[in-house]
This record gives sequence, structure tokens and C-alpha cells, in this order.
Amino acid sequence: MAAANAHAVSDAEYAEVSGHRLLGFLFFLISDCVIFGNFIFSYLYLRNAAPLWPPVGIERPYLYLAAVNSIVLFGSGATMHYAMEGMRHDRRSQFIGYTLATIVLGSMFLGGQAYEYTHLLPHTTWAGTTFGASFYTLTGLHGFHVFIGVIFLIVVLLQTLRGTYTQERHFGLTAATLYWHFVDVIWVALFFLFYIY
Amino acid sequence: MSVTHVELPASSHIHPPPDTFIKKYVFSLDHKVIAIQYFITAGLFLVFAGLLAELMRVQLMGPNNHVLSVAVFNQAYSLHGTAMVWLVGIPIVTGAFGNLIMPVQIGARDVAFPWLNMLSFWMLPVAGILVFASLLFGAPQAGWTEYPPVSLQLPLGESLSLWCAGVFVIGVSSTITGLNFLVTIVKMRAPGMTYTRMPLFVWATGVTAFLSMIATANLSAALAGLFIQHNFGVPFYDVTRGGAPVLWQHVFWFYSHPAVYILILPAFGIVSEVIPTFVRRPIFGYKAIAYSSAAIGLLSFMVWAHHMFTSGLQHWEQLFFMLLTMVIAVPTGIKIFSWVTTLWRGKIRLDSPLLFVLGFLSTFTLGGITGVMLASVPADAQEHASYFVVAHIHYVLFGGTIFGIFAGLYYWWPKMTGRMLDERLGKWHFWLMYIFFNLTFLPMHWAGLMGMPRRVATYDPMFAGTNLFVSISSFVLAASILIFIYNAYRSARYGEPAGPNPWGARTLEWMIPSPMPYYNFRDVPIVLSGPYDYGKPLPYANISQDLAMTPVR
Ligand code: HEM
Ligand SMILES: [Cu+2]
Repeated sequence: MAAANAHAVSDAEYAEVSGHRLLGFLFFLISDCVIFGNFIFSYLYLRNAAPLWPPVGIERPYLYLAAVNSIVLFGSGATMHYAMEGMRHDRRSQFIGYTLATIVLGSMFLGGQAYEYTHLLPHTTWAGTTFGASFYTLTGLHGFHVFIGVIFLIVVLLQTLRGTYTQERHFGLTAATLYWHFVDVIWVALFFLFYIY
Repeated sequence: MSVTHVELPASSHIHPPPDTFIKKYVFSLDHKVIAIQYFITAGLFLVFAGLLAELMRVQLMGPNNHVLSVAVFNQAYSLHGTAMVWLVGIPIVTGAFGNLIMPVQIGARDVAFPWLNMLSFWMLPVAGILVFASLLFGAPQAGWTEYPPVSLQLPLGESLSLWCAGVFVIGVSSTITGLNFLVTIVKMRAPGMTYTRMPLFVWATGVTAFLSMIATANLSAALAGLFIQHNFGVPFYDVTRGGAPVLWQHVFWFYSHPAVYILILPAFGIVSEVIPTFVRRPIFGYKAIAYSSAAIGLLSFMVWAHHMFTSGLQHWEQLFFMLLTMVIAVPTGIKIFSWVTTLWRGKIRLDSPLLFVLGFLSTFTLGGITGVMLASVPADAQEHASYFVVAHIHYVLFGGTIFGIFAGLYYWWPKMTGRMLDERLGKWHFWLMYIFFNLTFLPMHWAGLMGMPRRVATYDPMFAGTNLFVSISSFVLAASILIFIYNAYRSARYGEPAGPNPWGARTLEWMIPSPMPYYNFRDVPIVLSGPYDYGKPLPYANISQDLAMTPVR
């Protein structure tokens, strides 16, 4: 495999460098987690300090759309998983198909969120109340992560089509997958905190 | 040699030597060059921030001076604190010393991600420009902590946004550096360099890197919150719309308490390197020092609200944070105990690095003691926001961090430049700095206990004598740094060549030529035991003094 791609680096070297990158990427995800943690703490703090929650005149966010959207996002986690399985067994078409599906599902999630922001919460604004502040900041930050994830996936898909990654050498794909699952997990917390709790 | 069968890391080659001036000195990837860039840039900010301090001291020479208006005085202490913490202290102890020494001490040829390292460095000048540019719009006036509602109230224009942006940038830089150093320490140690064979400076840098990564990410989020509150009215901290100013204090101190350990742990590391070298005996309690760094790192996330005892906490919260804060004095005490035991009855060589370490030990211990006093809730109710706090922060930040930085500079200068500093000038620098540091900041304890509030441009005439005395001392204190600058200049022109190991130390950086060659090590060194066993043969194999520029795999 390696010889076919005529890489300048040896297999051992590639393994070692991607080991460094993987650890670095995990550390990045941990610090990203802290950023969400900060705003979640702020949300719980403000909620705890408020006499009434959500504040008067503010609607609770609409559970059903969010539930559908959650299913879409978790589905995208599954398609991402199958895509990587494809790469691990050198089944390129499986990888490409499932990655495309993940991109589509991720975009659907973003569409759902955009609809929610524009149609379902007429009285909740970002600057209006502490509820709006925490809701839009956290879900917006998450949506931004999904957006970045979609871009990330498009980029690695194009790279795959150009032959950048192989069965053995695909650190970029590993990173994209990790990122995607991370964004999924954050959504679990946000879904619970805003739509159920 | 019989040890040639050890597996060498495959990626022990690094980026090739740069061929252009820009690649060599401006956008350098070499950790040693980046370290020097940090020293120079942060040194410049030290001069700015120091001048702001002296301006304040001029104003405070009399109880009712009109040198600075109240507004400008507020801006001066806000930017002085901001710059000293984020643009001077943290970049020097992590970016500069961490980069200069840590990779070499673990036997690596560079950090894990040289490109990110360069990026981290270049964020420092950007952050500095953003922070100091806020002066043009009337800088923030709520101190380095920028507590709402005050920070949101004044006619601020763009200045708070600039402040947030600047600190955000340096925060991201610090997070990236932490991540980079941590991967380096976990992944790139030379064969045989187990965790308990790492030099104590590496331990300190590792824990600091962890704190930078976690706590500083939180700072970025907090600053983003303040930024959107200020610019878009998103009511996180605005009490009139359900927000909570105390929330800012929580998120700010959840970063800023660990930050004080980011500022002091590397100085602890420097002390742990200097003492065994100048006493020529194994450090007492290697593991105690190493693990207490880790303990401090973890505990530092659980004490943040000791800065908020007067902000209306619940009683149980006050009790919790008071007790945990006092607990954190224990691992710190363990370190002091180990250092003093190493010094005890040793053959002490009183060269300038050790002098600064002794200065560190005495002043930092005093700062630690006033810290425990401030941690006591009833005492803090009296001392909070008084000059007692100003005295405390300067005993730990100046007496701790800055003395540690100078100890490290005198110690590693020969390694960094290849030339010795003048010992006599070093002693002058130390004694002037040590004496006038204490004359400047010691009297502030009494002023504070007698009731002089901090952050005031004018004060009760009963404090006039003390303040005049403090101001005059502070001028000499600042001037003492000039001796160091002259010493550095003199060393560059006339300093004697240092040779690889002028102090007879045993950590890896002293096993290679000074200044360190581009690839640090020609062959990847092999480590056979810990670094402080004075009196035994050196614990390294595969070391060569050869300056050959081609690294051997
Ligand atoms: C020549 C040396 C120094 C002098 C004369 C000096 C003087 C001062 C003065 C007058 C204040 C304002 C006190 C007040 O009105 O509340 C202050 C605050 C402060 N200083 Fe220094 N300082 C020096 C060095 C340092 C260093 C080296 C650091 C840290 C590495 C530092 C960190 C701080 C901090 C964090 C504050 C609090 C700012 C605030 O209230 O927001 N200072 N200093
Ligand atoms: Cu603290």
C-alpha cells in the first residue's frame, strides 16, 4: 500500500507522527469541551438564580423538532461510523457513500436548527433574556461546530477522491470522525439541558 | 557501546535548517529561536507595564497628587495588571523557558508541533498590540479582572472589546502551547527517560501545560461572554435583565486561580534545577516535589472562589473554599521543605542563579503566608481590596515569578547564548533588587491592614509617609533591572565563552554545546537513570559533543 502511494515517509514514521497528532487532537477536543462546559455552567447558574424558568413571556423550545433533529444527528454518527469501517477494510465506495450521507444529515440538522431559530421561537431573542442568551449561545456554538464538521467532512472527502488517504494512512479521516462524534455527544447534553430538563 | 539496541523514535529527524533570514529569525520553527523571541517580546512588554507601575507610583507620592487623572490612573493599573499577567509572566515562564529548556531536557530535537509553536508565539505581539491599543480609546478601568458592572458601565467606546480580543488571543496562544508541550512530554521523551527520571523543570512544565490547556480554554469562553454582553447586550452579566455579575467572577476565577499556578509552577521548576546544581548533591524528595506539582495542579481547580468571599457566597461555599485553599498550602510547603533540606548543610556556591533562588524562597514564602491569611474568610473580610492584597500579589508574582525568571536567566544564559554573564554585576543586580523589592512591597502590608484601599489615585494623608517611601523604593527597584540589561549587553560583547557545562550540572541540556546546535543532539541520547545523582557517573549514553549538523537516526 505504502509503496503504491510513493510516500516519502516510512510507515513507522507515519505511525509515530499521527500518534502525536491524535493525542494533540484529543487535547484540543478536551479544551473545546471546557468551552461548552463554561457556557453550560453559566446557563445552570443563571437558571438557578432566576425566579421563573423560562422567564415570563418566553416559550419553551419546541421538543418535537429537536427530537427529530437529534435522530438526524445521531443517524449521522452511525453513517460516519460505517464510512470509517469502509475505509478500514479498503472499501472505498462504502466510505464515499456513507460520508456523503453524513454530510447530508449534518446539513439537515443545520436546516432544522435554522428553522427553529427563525420560526419556532418568536419571543426568544439572544439579547432579550438570560434564557435566550444561554440558549442561543450554546446551541449556536454547537451549530457552528456542526457547520465546521460538515466543511471538514467535505474537505476530507475531496482529499480521499484525490487519493490522499489509504487503508493504513488516514489520520485526517480519523480526526474528522472523532470530531463528528464529539459534536454528537455535546448535542446529547444540550438536548437534555434545553428540551427536557 | 552496548546500548545500541534501544529502539530510537522514528521521527527523530525534524525540519531542516532554515535558509533565509525570515525563516531563521522571524517565522522560525526552532524551539530555541522561538524561546528567544518570547524573551524579547515579553521583555518589551515588561518595560511598558513597569513604566505604567512607576507612573502610578509617581501619582501616589502624595495623597492628593494630580500627575494622573483618576481615569488615567484606573487605566494604568488595569493595563499594568493585564500586561504583567498575560503578556509578561505567562509568556516568559511557559513560552520562553518551556521552549528553551523542556525539549532539550527530555532529549528531543523540538516540540511535537513546531508550526503551532510558531503560531503561539506570533499571537503574543498581536495580543499585546490589541491590549495596548485600547489605551487610544481610553483603556478599560475595572482592573485586570474587569468585573461587571463597572467594566460595562463606563463610557468605554471600543476599549473593552479590544481588551477582550487581546486577552482572548493570548489565551488561545496559551492553550495551544499547553497542548503542544503536553504532547511533547508524553510522546517525545528520549529512550529511557521515564516519568520519574524527568528533570523537575519538565514536571513543572507538564503540569503547567495541562493547566494552560484546560483553564485557559475556559478563559476564552468567559471573554467571549463578556464580549457579546458588551457588544450585543447578551445579558449574561447584566443584573437588570436577570444576569449575574457574580457569574463573571466565577468563570473568571475558574481560569485565573489556575493561572497563578501557571505563573509559579515553572518558577518552582527552575528552583528545583538550580538548587541541586549549586549545592552539588541530589535533590531531597524528588518524587515529593514532582507529585506535589501534580497535586497543586489538580487542587488549583477547586479553590477559585477564595477570591469571592466578599461577593455573597453561601456559608458552606465559604467554608469549602477556605479549607481547600489552606490544603493547597500543604503541597507547596512540601516543596519548600524539600528545597531547604537540600540546601541544609550543603556546600553552597553562592553564584547569582542561587542568590535569586534564595531570594525567591524567602519572598515567595512570605507571599504564601499572606495567601493563607487571605484564605481565612473572617480575615479576608478585612483585608479584601486593600493594599494588603497588593502586597500579597507582588510577593508571589514579583518575589516568586520574577525572581524565579531571573534565577533561570542567570542559570541558562550561558546555555542560550554561549557566553557567561558577569558575576559581580549579577550580585549587584540581585542585592539591589532584593532589598528594594522588600522596601517597596513590605510596607504595603501595614498600609493595607490600616485600611488603605487598593486601586485608588488619592488617599488619606495618614498614609503619606509610607507611600512616599514606597514610591522612592520602587524607582530603585525598577532601575535595578538596568544592571541586568547592561550585563546582557556586556556578555554579548565581552563575555567569556561558557563551554557546554559551566555549572557542572547534570541534566541533558548541559551535555551538548552552548549555544545549543540546531538539532540539539547529534544522536538521540539514551537515559539510564535520574538526573540529580551527584557523585555518580553521568546517566547518559549515546551523547556526543560533535557539532555535526546532520542528525543521526
Ligand atoms: C517595579 C515593579 C512593580 C511595581 C512598582 C508595581 C506597582 C503596582 C501598583 C502601584 C499597582 C496598583 C495597586 C492599586 O492601586 O491597586 C499594581 C497592581 C498590580 N500589579 Fe504590580 N507592580 C510591579 C510589578 C508587578 C509584577 C512583576 C507583576 C506580575 C508579574 C505585577 C502584577 C500586578 C497585578 C496583577 C496588579 C493588580 C492590578 C489590578 O488591580 O487590576 N506587578 N502594581
Ligand atoms: Cu486564587
